[in-house]
Amino acid sequence: MSTLRARAIELKPGLLPATVRSVWPLVAGIGIALTLQFFAKPVIGDFYAKVLLDIGTSIILAVSLTMVNGFTGQFSIGHAAFMMVGGYVSGGIVYYGSLLLFGDVDMAGGLVSSMIEGRDVPLVTRGDALFAVSLVAGGLAAALCGYVVGLPSLRLKGDYLAIVTLGFGEIVRVLIQSQTGDVLYTVEEMKERPFVGIAQMFTTPSDEWVTPIVLSLGGALGFSGLPFYSSLFWVFLGVGITLLVAYRLKESATGRAFLSIREDEIASEAMGVNTTQFKVRAFVIAAFFAGVAGGLFAHSIGVQLNPGELGFLKSFDIIIMVVLGGLGSISGAAIAAAIVTILPELLRNPAPLLKVWPVFAGLAALLLIATVFAAATGRRTRPLIAWLCIVLALLGLGFGARAAAAAGHNLGDYRMILFALALILMMILRPQGLFGVREIWDRSLWRGIAESLRAPAKKGGTSR
Amino acid sequence: MTPTTDAVLAVRSISKSFGGLKAVQDFNLTLPRGSLRGLIGPNGAGKTTVFNLLTGVYRPDAGSVTLAGRNITGLRPFRIADAGLSRTFQNIRLFGELSVLDNVRLGCHVRSQHGVFRSIFRTPYHRGEERAIEASARRLLDVVGLLSRAGEQARNLPYGDQRKLEIARALATEPRVLLLDEPAAGMNSQEKIALRALIQRLRKEFDATILLIEHDMGVVMDICERITVLDYGKTIAEGTPSELQSNPAVIAAYLGAESDCDIDANHAKGGR
Repeated sequence: MSTLRARAIELKPGLLPATVRSVWPLVAGIGIALTLQFFAKPVIGDFYAKVLLDIGTSIILAVSLTMVNGFTGQFSIGHAAFMMVGGYVSGGIVYYGSLLLFGDVDMAGGLVSSMIEGRDVPLVTRGDALFAVSLVAGGLAAALCGYVVGLPSLRLKGDYLAIVTLGFGEIVRVLIQSQTGDVLYTVEEMKERPFVGIAQMFTTPSDEWVTPIVLSLGGALGFSGLPFYSSLFWVFLGVGITLLVAYRLKESATGRAFLSIREDEIASEAMGVNTTQFKVRAFVIAAFFAGVAGGLFAHSIGVQLNPGELGFLKSFDIIIMVVLGGLGSISGAAIAAAIVTILPELLRNPAPLLKVWPVFAGLAALLLIATVFAAATGRRTRPLIAWLCIVLALLGLGFGARAAAAAGHNLGDYRMILFALALILMMILRPQGLFGVREIWDRSLWRGIAESLRAPAKKGGTSR
Repeated sequence: MTPTTDAVLAVRSISKSFGGLKAVQDFNLTLPRGSLRGLIGPNGAGKTTVFNLLTGVYRPDAGSVTLAGRNITGLRPFRIADAGLSRTFQNIRLFGELSVLDNVRLGCHVRSQHGVFRSIFRTPYHRGEERAIEASARRLLDVVGLLSRAGEQARNLPYGDQRKLEIARALATEPRVLLLDEPAAGMNSQEKIALRALIQRLRKEFDATILLIEHDMGVVMDICERITVLDYGKTIAEGTPSELQSNPAVIAAYLGAESDCDIDANHAKGGR
């Protein structure tokens, strides 16, 4: 009999207040998503709405990967594979579901799903329900894959997960490229095909097999013709739920168990944490959200679901976001996801960044003065220099991109080089990432800067 | 050695070899409820290996470990923690990036009902439990005198405080038996006096049964009721502190050992 359990029952809040406190963030999330969809989109215009859409999808991916690479300290480098699984499952359900239910694959969503202004449709329709179901199904399929991949590899310590996830990513990509057939266009075509096609393996010679419906996903050419259901509403509803789940996990017994595994697996196990079980849990939850993000990605405007696009490089993009943001920081991953997504756009067209350059210049000047002051009086300068570099880098990128554009180059083509440089700088100046394990609202995160201004540096003190 | 009926921990002739090295041979131990036992021996005698065998880090080659009547031999470490055996580490193993409070809260993990869905949906029970965990973690921090540093990152604590935090974290698992691996290492003499007081307090307030590895003879001789002496993996003596001080085998093990044991020998001679 644990005294903790007795105390917990004693301290339990009432059902009503607990429910209100549990539910209100979700209601707020729905509100924000609706606001973005119906009030922000007309203001910012189609182009920026699309950029915002991509940012949202990236945030879901980065925050979900943070649960594995950041919280539990395991290293997964195949996150895009779960995105691919979710995208294809969700795409298949919407595409063939639409054919069966509505007779064609045209967009059948209501206003919540629309990225186009002035469509004369109700707020929510059957199409939206189909899309929502497909997202959950895509997430569940990815989570199942995560379980199958994670259970054997997470039992072992070390880099096995990295190797296995890398392999899994390639397997999924190659299977979709080589084993799936052309997309079907009509209900008549569908009726000629078996649904799963296991029976034909026993009854038909192999050279007469027909591709079943579940494998008619476009092959190497990509899954074309998916309706564009992904709107700001759906994407930011997904972002809201992902952030809420990540935050609640981190700030609970479950999250402490995740983090303890990263900090010291032996001590964690000695304190009673079933480390294998918790690593698998984190991995499965992350895979679920990657699958949902894949579904949102598949139905985004201007995207054609293509196995080549969701290979290793995409996984690496997500890792960059997580590492830049700080391993274990939810807000860090979200902000880094936004930066990494928006950067190619800004490099192509730096005008919006340059419009506010005096703000950045002022910030840089302030930081410079503070650094000089700190150095002159023997205080710690390191955190200040790190932030100064970040601001200067952004400013430099803006002007650099404008100069490059004037000379007829697009700096966005060099983004992988720039990311590599940023990562190297990061390793030198802030190896723990922008926010480390902490969140943007943690006061201790900013205490480093405050302290370097207030107290003189201690000799041989820690370097943070 | 006759097994006592109210023995909370009973170890029957466990052994462990690493290749040709017999790290622990035929180790026996019976801890009555509420007792405080010392485990000493020169460097490399196998003391920490005994801890690792008891807590499941290593699986014993032979023998059995029984905790409160339940056979826990060869279970994985988290199951043994669940059964009620908790430890601190010789080379401190705190969760450095986490706060002092979170380190202790993690210790409560094993007694909590930590479901993923409870955490996500924050059920009333989950909220109550988080409150209970926080209250109990704060109480334990108060006991070891670290409450004022609850919000700091564990790795920023001074060495002596880190050892105390390890004790608080181990206590948070509500253990039946507490294994302390050199809690006084790296402490100055004042901290050592405080540590003795702390261990006495744990016995009184938490009714703790403690197995203590310690190199500091002053601490061991002062607070332990009985002491087991290991040398080269074998138990060479067991008895009360005064019995051992005149035991020729113990004196030989310490004074007759190689040069790297000189420090221990000095402790044994001088007492402090």
